[in-house]
Amino acid sequence: MSSESSRYGVEPGDYIGRRLPRVEDARMVRGEGHYVADLRVEGCLEAAFVRSSLAHGRLRGVRLDEARAVPGVVGVWSAHELPELPAAQPLFPAEVLEGRDWPSLATDRVRFAGQTVAVVVAENRYTAEDGADAVDVEVKELPAVLDPTKATTADAPELFEGLSNVVGEWGTGEDIGEDFWKNAPVVVEASYRQPPLAPTSIEGRAFLARPEEDGGLTVWCSHQAPHRLRRDLSSVFEIPQQKVRVVVPDVGGAFGGKSETFPEYLVVAYLALRLGRPVRWVEDRAEALAGATHGRGQNQRVRLAADRDGRMLALAVEVDASTGAYPHYGFAPLFNMLRLLAGVYKTPRIYARVRAVVTNTTPTAPYRGAGRPEAAYAVERTVDLLARRLDLDPAEIRRRNLIPPEALPYETPTGALYDSGDYPTALDKALEAADYESWRAEQRRRLESGDGSLLGIGISCYVESAGVMEEYGAVEARADGSFLALSGASSTGQGHEITFAQVVASALGVDVERVRVVEADTDAVPRGVGSFASRSMQVGGAALHRAALGLVEEARRRTANFFGISVEEVGYREGMLFAGSEELSLPELVERTGPLRVEDVFDPPQAFPYGCYVAVVEVDPELGNVRVLRLVAVDDCGLVINPMVVEGQAYGSIMQGLGQALYEEVPYDAAGRHLLDYGLLDYLLPTFSELPPVRLEEMETPNPNTPLGAKGVGESGCIGVPPAVVNAVADALGHPADLQMPLTPETCWTALCDRSAARSAEVRP
Amino acid sequence: MKIELEVNGKKRELNIEPRRTLADALREDLGLTGTHLGCEHGVCGACTVILDGKAVRSCLMFAAQCGGREVRTVESLAADDGTPHPLQAAFVAEHGLQCGFCTPGFLMLVTAALEGDPDIVEDEERLRELLTSNLCRCTGYEGIRRAVVRAAGDMKAFS
Repeated sequence: MSSESSRYGVEPGDYIGRRLPRVEDARMVRGEGHYVADLRVEGCLEAAFVRSSLAHGRLRGVRLDEARAVPGVVGVWSAHELPELPAAQPLFPAEVLEGRDWPSLATDRVRFAGQTVAVVVAENRYTAEDGADAVDVEVKELPAVLDPTKATTADAPELFEGLSNVVGEWGTGEDIGEDFWKNAPVVVEASYRQPPLAPTSIEGRAFLARPEEDGGLTVWCSHQAPHRLRRDLSSVFEIPQQKVRVVVPDVGGAFGGKSETFPEYLVVAYLALRLGRPVRWVEDRAEALAGATHGRGQNQRVRLAADRDGRMLALAVEVDASTGAYPHYGFAPLFNMLRLLAGVYKTPRIYARVRAVVTNTTPTAPYRGAGRPEAAYAVERTVDLLARRLDLDPAEIRRRNLIPPEALPYETPTGALYDSGDYPTALDKALEAADYESWRAEQRRRLESGDGSLLGIGISCYVESAGVMEEYGAVEARADGSFLALSGASSTGQGHEITFAQVVASALGVDVERVRVVEADTDAVPRGVGSFASRSMQVGGAALHRAALGLVEEARRRTANFFGISVEEVGYREGMLFAGSEELSLPELVERTGPLRVEDVFDPPQAFPYGCYVAVVEVDPELGNVRVLRLVAVDDCGLVINPMVVEGQAYGSIMQGLGQALYEEVPYDAAGRHLLDYGLLDYLLPTFSELPPVRLEEMETPNPNTPLGAKGVGESGCIGVPPAVVNAVADALGHPADLQMPLTPETCWTALCDRSAARSAEVRP
Repeated sequence: MKIELEVNGKKRELNIEPRRTLADALREDLGLTGTHLGCEHGVCGACTVILDGKAVRSCLMFAAQCGGREVRTVESLAADDGTPHPLQAAFVAEHGLQCGFCTPGFLMLVTAALEGDPDIVEDEERLRELLTSNLCRCTGYEGIRRAVVRAAGDMKAFS
């Protein structure tokens, strides 16, 4: 028993590291979960939006008469009729928004296909959509620009009159200078494209607003950050925060796409207040794919210098990042990316610049990983290029450059402070679990045999930043013997109802079933930040842990006062207080001394989970299909509260990473219209058939900066998988130039054709 | 128009527009909101229910097509005394769900399949085809696969 635990006589390991089944599952498997679309609110109207079908143009007119004549339609509005309608809100305030308002319904201009132009409110969703179909929108089309680099050029269409398309430019490190690159022993260069991705939670966005008789507003929303949504609603509608209640019921997945205060939400809340009736909007899939947010969307140019032994000397990265048509969300991930460009390597000089650029695409926003996958991809793809240039094994070149464990904590040239871990061991474990040497031998055998089959092996080492901002946690002991664990986090499927209970029950030494987690309701939880950036357990769990330990302290103090003895004379064990010969249970203490709740607001430094991924792939030489034969993931997310939940996060994240590497991209035509007529038959999510043989290996280095020790989990697979898989495919194809995600059969087949063309050119006399 | 159908073992009468989907009739008219709508164009399978013993996408069926037929939804899976169906228990035990939105669809898809042929899990290729029917964005499918294999074993042991 550690000294920490013996102080209270509590064995804190009781529920930590245990595979307890989730509390929320009991209702969800019975169909008794409650998502926003399932709520029955009396007198509720339904909203449907009319959206621009063009990517860029001047709005000439919106004709609403026919829609108003549809029986059952309560009202139809464009921006013209709603001059008081508030504009969309940014993720956080920033200068980049100056002069670039995002009207919740388009006023004089549309800037992306899918932008909201008008709204119909009706007695039910069928009628609302009939109304939306009857609205006529006239737009004079303007030239569109989709690529962020092209959007920076002088002849690119200007999205906001009189303002540059470059909305912001940020950097890290000191300029390395051309002389250095000229004189460096080895320099490799490459360009990468991060295609736009649709987050695609299976439940789309959903929002229900009900005006209250006291002038307040109650909102039910499928959201990741209920307190921020409350703050925004309170501010734009000028209703005091205590009269705005945001309730987040069950959420059908989010992945970054439900953090925002969207234009649709403001329109629906505005109309609910104006009509004095509840109004709901449930997004359909076409809207979710085209009119919500997209992730990634960058062009990267990377230069890496090394000595002849492969020791990396300098890295320079230039990025043009599309924010889409409005920069309100898309600049947020860029700071994660800049901070992580050192990767797991001791590269002494790093210089990076990123330009955030408006384009006529769907606005970009944080999507699972949010800048972390972009950083890891830029680094890990280029490290492989260097290995190839120097004819070194990709594992060996990494070994020569990894930050050694004794150097941690380690501050990178980009300003990140890596807390703890062992990067070389993660690499070794991954290579061993993948049986790396045997696959290399098999690869040589196949090459020598000339049988034409294409086998490739790829490695990626990553480090990520988890957690940002403070979180609220409170623990209350109740007279009935139960405990409440209040958190400002807000589950979107992560399983807080069991994992937070495990943390609190372990700290208190009580039965986990006595702990009830309360979150996602701004009336029940006074403050909070939310669930994103892998922060729920790292920050929110740590806050609850501290609150639970604080509750034990407070209980001892009260007991000491009650019996008139000193605190040191009061012991605590498993929900019982011991004072000499006297014993008191926590419920008895509450009965005698009043309500007992201890609050904590915790703001620890970011944590840096890390790991190593190895992919083994085969590429069909005839068809270009990629088959992943083996995928190994070694992740260290610090202390693991519930291994079952952590593994579930790993698998889900791995599949989304695989989606990015091989299948997913939102396609546009040249005019900026989404080529998504068949919805999820055009935007390909990985199915069960794409699940490769996966092996998970765990490392567990506790976070030294929180007493709980968790580092955060959930984004690792999205970060580690794309470079590992693309490196493997590049290895199989002989490292073709300009191999870009997603590695569709067409992409690989084209690369193979280029290779054979080059070969036949070589043999020609 | 009026139709009569059997839902979860009970005769129900509906007065509906011809264009009303089965999913909306179940959710809005009968209050069976366990059936979820994820894409409304037949790809994701979150709305899967069992119609006359076969798994169907309820977003691609009109309620009007279901007159005189038998529909089973996720709400029918547990026993009357609340005991979960072995498949429900297995989804919990094997962490076959995270956000839970696709779960009812998977449960009904697999229930129909296991009722038709419990040996489907023995054949990797048939199991693959079955589970490829529906989309899940959270779990990476591994927990779902384990749950289905476990449930098939449990169901055999009980029968």
